[in-house]
Amino acid sequence: METIAAFLEGPFWYFSAAVFVVGVVGRLALALSLGSSKSLSVPRGSASAGAVRAVFSRFVPRRDFYRRIRLEVIAGYAFHVGLFVLLFFAAPHVEFYKEYILGFGWPTMPRWAFIVVSEIAFAGLIVLWLRRLLHPVSRKLSDAGDHIGSILIFFVMLTGCLALGEDHESLRLIHLFLAQLLLIYFPFSSLMHTFTFVFSRGYIGAGFAHHGVKA
Amino acid sequence: MKTGTTVNRHATRQSTTWLLPVVWLLLTICGTAVAEEQGGGAVPNPGIELWRAVREGPPPGVSRSQVEGIGMTTLIAEGGERWRQLRSNYVAPWGGWALVGMLGVLTLFHLVRKSPERFDGSSGKVIVRFPDYDRILHWFMAGTFLFLAISGLILLLGRYVILPLVGPQAFGAIASASKEGHNLFGPVFIVSLTLFVLRFAQRNFFARGDLAWLAKGGGMLSGKHVSAGFFNAGEKILFWSITFGGLAISISGLILVFPLFGQSRELMQLMLLVHGIAALVLIAFTFGHMYLGSIGLPGSFNAMNTGKVDADWAHAHHDRWHREAEEKGLIEKAPS
Repeated sequence: METIAAFLEGPFWYFSAAVFVVGVVGRLALALSLGSSKSLSVPRGSASAGAVRAVFSRFVPRRDFYRRIRLEVIAGYAFHVGLFVLLFFAAPHVEFYKEYILGFGWPTMPRWAFIVVSEIAFAGLIVLWLRRLLHPVSRKLSDAGDHIGSILIFFVMLTGCLALGEDHESLRLIHLFLAQLLLIYFPFSSLMHTFTFVFSRGYIGAGFAHHGVKA
Repeated sequence: MKTGTTVNRHATRQSTTWLLPVVWLLLTICGTAVAEEQGGGAVPNPGIELWRAVREGPPPGVSRSQVEGIGMTTLIAEGGERWRQLRSNYVAPWGGWALVGMLGVLTLFHLVRKSPERFDGSSGKVIVRFPDYDRILHWFMAGTFLFLAISGLILLLGRYVILPLVGPQAFGAIASASKEGHNLFGPVFIVSLTLFVLRFAQRNFFARGDLAWLAKGGGMLSGKHVSAGFFNAGEKILFWSITFGGLAISISGLILVFPLFGQSRELMQLMLLVHGIAALVLIAFTFGHMYLGSIGLPGSFNAMNTGKVDADWAHAHHDRWHREAEEKGLIEKAPS
């Protein structure tokens, strides 16, 4: 067990973190290097302002669609906000960042809040994944990579919660190993939307504003 | 040569030797008599009164403890041992065997029953039985229930089934993970159950025709279809079993997970039994549901997979619903 722990906390941790960082930066650099074709039309609005507006306005669904996508919106926010809170405010995570990455920590949430947030995030993730599987259009649009991403995140979250007792090292190591697999898989999957959503929204928003489209 | 004193001592020893067994016999008789007078053949434990008092517990208001809380002045909770025996000797083994028995009954039923009718989609028509939201809700609840069932069974039966296979260290980790996961997913199940009941209750009230369906056993043995609406009586019984069984599991689970409201030890023990028995019954019912929703009734699984069922299947198993759908023009052409 000690050998496995030394491997996961040593070489494999550095490898997975390096793949994550190099992969994410590389893919973003590649996307940005493609640039955009210069529009020859007369600008009808500020492209920069349009880009910023689109990045934030898309957080709120259009009223016309909300009734039809209510479940997806609620589940989407439950999962994404929940995951963000767990990732950055769960005490074991902050301790890990402090020890292995940053050298400093910050206030964490109490255990009861951890459990409530986990439950909300789980409910959101399960509903989103079920929709992907059951909605005829989503099912056709989804590929194996989407399902692998969902399953991997589910098991990373699950093993983290199963290790909450903090009385078995093996459970913590399983969680750590799956989290490292996720780090390695991340840059090569649709999970990159964590970063690329800003650029894609901004790109579309800038184009719309340039052409005077209010959307 | 023996002196006179030595001879006298020898003679005295010889003359008193016969006294020893007599004295031993007298003492034994007296001891037995005293012991019998004190209530039996056993030698009394000098601390018996003390331990009896400890087991009975102090009268209310007499004892105190530096640690405040319910049961803090109780040294030995005698009811706990009775509860443990009830759980270990009856609930766990009988519950485990009941589940195995249910699987056996279903297997036997599958082997002896008349082969169920298959619907290969030759009608070329389908009806939407469960839209997306209904299926998402069903699988959301089914997924959480399955997770809770597996983790709960590990906690109830793992000591007898898994521990001998994997050893104490691995089982310790499995049990710890099961306990944390079970407690975590419990509230998620309550949310899914609530949404499920709110969504499906209206279509599960008993109506005319349900008694006739029940009287004919749903035609399961005869192989003849019995008239039914959107849900047949068997499905309605399952729905209300899930509703009330789920309610019992949820309430007892909340009492167990949040021991913050002054729950007594006896109440917690009772809730553990209610929780376990209700869960075992629901798991057994779920085996039947899974069988009938898949290989037991070919064509049924489509209802919860794509949401659409073959029109012939609908006509055979839910003729009244099929007629309604026909009247409302809800029968569609099957996608090619």
